[in-house]
Amino acid sequence: MTAVIPGAIPIPRRAWKNTSLGRFFRNPRSVFGAGLLLIFVLMGLFAPVLTPYSPSSLEFDAFMPFSAAHPLGTTALGQDILAQFLYGARLTLLVGAVAGLLATFLSVAFGLAAAYFGGWVDEAINTLINVFLVLPGLPLIIVAAAFIRGGGVWPVIVVIGFTGWAFGARVLRSQALALRERDFIAAAAVSGEGPLRIIFVEMLPNMAGLIAANFFGAALYAVLSEAGLSFIGVGDVSLVTWGTMLYWAQAKGALLQGAWWWVALPGLSIALLGTSFALLNFAVDEISNPKLGGGRLKMPRRTQAAPIAAPVAGDALLSIKELSVGYLTPTGVVRAVREVSLDVQPGELLGLAGESGCGKSTLAFAATRLLDPPGAVLGGSVRLAQHDLLALSPEELRKVRWKEFSIVFQASMSVLNPVLKIREQVYDAMQAHGVTDKAKLDARARELFDLVGIQMQYLDAYPHQLSGGMKQRVVIAIALALEPKLIVMDEPTTALDVVVQRQILQEINAVRKRLGISIIFITHDLSLLVEMSDRVAIMYAGEVVELAPAHQLYAHPAHPYTQQLMNSFPPMTGPRTRRSGIPGKPPSLSAEIVGCPFFERCTKRMPGVCDVKPLQTFTVAENQTAACFLYDPTVPSEIKDSAIRSSQTPQPEVSREPAHTIN
Amino acid sequence: MSYLLRKLGIFVFTLWVAATLNFILPRLVPGDPVSVMLAKYQGRLDPSAVDALKIAYGLNDLGSPVSQYFGYLGNLLRGDFGRSISLFPTPVIDVVMRALPYTLGLVGITTILSFLIGSGLGLYSGWRRGKAGADGVVPVALFLNSMPYFWFGLLLLYIFAFQLKWFPLSGALDPFPGDAYSASWWGSLLRHATLPVLTILVTSVGGWLITMRNNVISVASEDYLAFARAKGLSEGRIINRYVLRNALLPSFTAFGMSLGFVVGGSILTEIVFSYPGLGYYLFQSVTNLDYPLMQALFFFIALAVLVANLAVDLLNLILDPRIREGRA
Repeated sequence: MTAVIPGAIPIPRRAWKNTSLGRFFRNPRSVFGAGLLLIFVLMGLFAPVLTPYSPSSLEFDAFMPFSAAHPLGTTALGQDILAQFLYGARLTLLVGAVAGLLATFLSVAFGLAAAYFGGWVDEAINTLINVFLVLPGLPLIIVAAAFIRGGGVWPVIVVIGFTGWAFGARVLRSQALALRERDFIAAAAVSGEGPLRIIFVEMLPNMAGLIAANFFGAALYAVLSEAGLSFIGVGDVSLVTWGTMLYWAQAKGALLQGAWWWVALPGLSIALLGTSFALLNFAVDEISNPKLGGGRLKMPRRTQAAPIAAPVAGDALLSIKELSVGYLTPTGVVRAVREVSLDVQPGELLGLAGESGCGKSTLAFAATRLLDPPGAVLGGSVRLAQHDLLALSPEELRKVRWKEFSIVFQASMSVLNPVLKIREQVYDAMQAHGVTDKAKLDARARELFDLVGIQMQYLDAYPHQLSGGMKQRVVIAIALALEPKLIVMDEPTTALDVVVQRQILQEINAVRKRLGISIIFITHDLSLLVEMSDRVAIMYAGEVVELAPAHQLYAHPAHPYTQQLMNSFPPMTGPRTRRSGIPGKPPSLSAEIVGCPFFERCTKRMPGVCDVKPLQTFTVAENQTAACFLYDPTVPSEIKDSAIRSSQTPQPEVSREPAHTIN
Repeated sequence: MSYLLRKLGIFVFTLWVAATLNFILPRLVPGDPVSVMLAKYQGRLDPSAVDALKIAYGLNDLGSPVSQYFGYLGNLLRGDFGRSISLFPTPVIDVVMRALPYTLGLVGITTILSFLIGSGLGLYSGWRRGKAGADGVVPVALFLNSMPYFWFGLLLLYIFAFQLKWFPLSGALDPFPGDAYSASWWGSLLRHATLPVLTILVTSVGGWLITMRNNVISVASEDYLAFARAKGLSEGRIINRYVLRNALLPSFTAFGMSLGFVVGGSILTEIVFSYPGLGYYLFQSVTNLDYPLMQALFFFIALAVLVANLAVDLLNLILDPRIREGRA
């Protein structure tokens, strides 16, 4: 296994870059927003240095043009516009910051209280939030401020703060509700921590990003509201803010006098200050919610597979050759699938097993070109019948999909669009591949539903009206619609109860045999696979470590990992014994793995061999291969024997020198 | 059904809160607004006229706060908002009814337009994420959204009405626009509405864009979208039936929520263009300390936003089968 990923981007190793703060400083939006804000803050702070005049002195002539003494001229009242502008930044920022803080504080208090206490408290707060959300804010502020006018800047701040909290409270409430469902909060509650401690120590830190984003949103709202209020003369127009500058400019007819900059400058600055708040809001949101970010990782180009020697070995339907798949993360490439080669014969049911995170789903997704960024195929080839799947253009791929191969997802509960009728979701797969006749569509849909055992009337139901098992059957029916040559089933029954699971599996098997379809069946349930499959492939840490016919694998598992896996299932017959799991955990896939990835957990490991030699696959018996040096003919048999012997006695856990990380 | 009842309940409750705020706010002022109001006339009116005014406003017999409150609610229900002070003796309700069509026309049409345009651009920006054009609109949208409505309106007014004289400086109609609903009348109405419409459109479109973009991005990572792609559906079909259909639902809800903000902005726009809608009169009433008019206008603005929200809720009911089943 080489450490070089062709075309992968070098990613800096310094740890702080991967913290939220590091990402904050690498995001162009947040840097620009923070820079803009900093400029305005400095302007306000250093106003006395930057201008010799007081913003409120009326000592100059009215409407003076630009000059060295007055770079921006003077107002109708004879104030220096530059001085007003610089000093105006102070109160404008103050209003934004304090009213933003006040609103955020209220949002957090209400949002968290509602989520934490639930019940009638939640009900009451939620109603209050809804009321404040739909009450038009500015008119309310105008009316409220009209009654408290002339009291300086603080009444304005208070009014804005008290009218601007509802939106944030709504967002924070739903986030906190989701958080409350999480295990660690429940654990804290059970262990007797008080509500205040849970809220402030357990929940708040997890919502920091959202709260920060919320603050910038509230500050934007506050600055705009203050400007609007000042502009119409409510609030205190004797103060100097950008909003009151606009008020006086308008009241004194600045535009009619041609002093357009008196209007343009404060307004533009409000807009830019608002933009900086909005950018910070957006960026913080993006950083704390990776779903919204992304799209900026550069995808490496797939290395061209070595020209496929001979037009596919044998008559395999699907041929995966040296497929490497990785996930690009800010910390480096996680190599989830490592040069895997696998064939599927026509009509064959190939089982793919391994523990969570071993790369089995990634393999299936990459091979069917469904992998989304940040996942990327790093090398290898996939050939289905006559198509080179990884080389097809999007339109060619679209045509091949579902007609040649279909896929049943792991999360079948959520693969149906909740707002479309089942009928449309059954039809559109067929319509996309040329079946457009209504009668034909209907007949086929009925046939399919009959096949998977669902009543016809559910064609006109919405997904949420179906049980989990029925949804799964619908998805399988859709997968069968065009009688593809291959169906990839990614843990299709994991979420279902055992009885339903059994029924569905039997139906799948019956249909497969009738139609001669090949199936790749992915699961972590090895005993299920042994029963159903023709052949089974065992995956570990991104590699196929053993491949054998199901009965062979069951009777004579070759790889120590397979053996230990088999050991963790109780046999159907024989005395009851204590089952053991496999101690330890798989190696990090972001690291380069020298030798066998199972080395640390293996009871039959051969130090000096397994952790040194590059991993290879060896033939164990006819049709059975294993990636294990116990079957390496070049390793002396005494080493193998002593390893097998010592596996009878318990061993302390070992670890080798940590392999250096890729990049 | 319970969904609808719930929404109706919130509608009534919120309206009640708005009415109650209207009642409480004037009473929070040190020195009651009645005397503030009358102080304005003190120099000009002789005491007998002041008494006559008090009687006319129903301010002479105040009674206990509780009975005042119920009397006030009763008047509201009867549509009796009292008489305007600045436009005395016009009943407040007449002023409101005169102004209402302009605001509904201006805000209603622009909001719907802006929602459609913004959501369209947001769909593009979210779906084509990662491409320069699609990502480039984001900062532009944030900037437009951060502009004070009234400031942008002032700039438009200065450039297109004052300097270039393409559009009128103020008002909703020419002084003599011709017969109502005639071609020249419509022309006059449109010419007057152009700049206010443009102001609201440009400053509010960015918000819808960002909302839709975020919704599209979160729909794009849903399992049903991966499944739709796996089925080999055409891009057009996926966008139409899987992305747009689903991303629009939360956008609609956000639409209702943000209406209050847009209405606030339109008030400032009306003020800048002296456009005789609710916002313009609200401004007038604030400057003239015309409390009865101010309260009625706030009430009606709140009512308009609430009705629009209810309409959005009804639309959601039609569009989202999960809500129909009472499961969302």
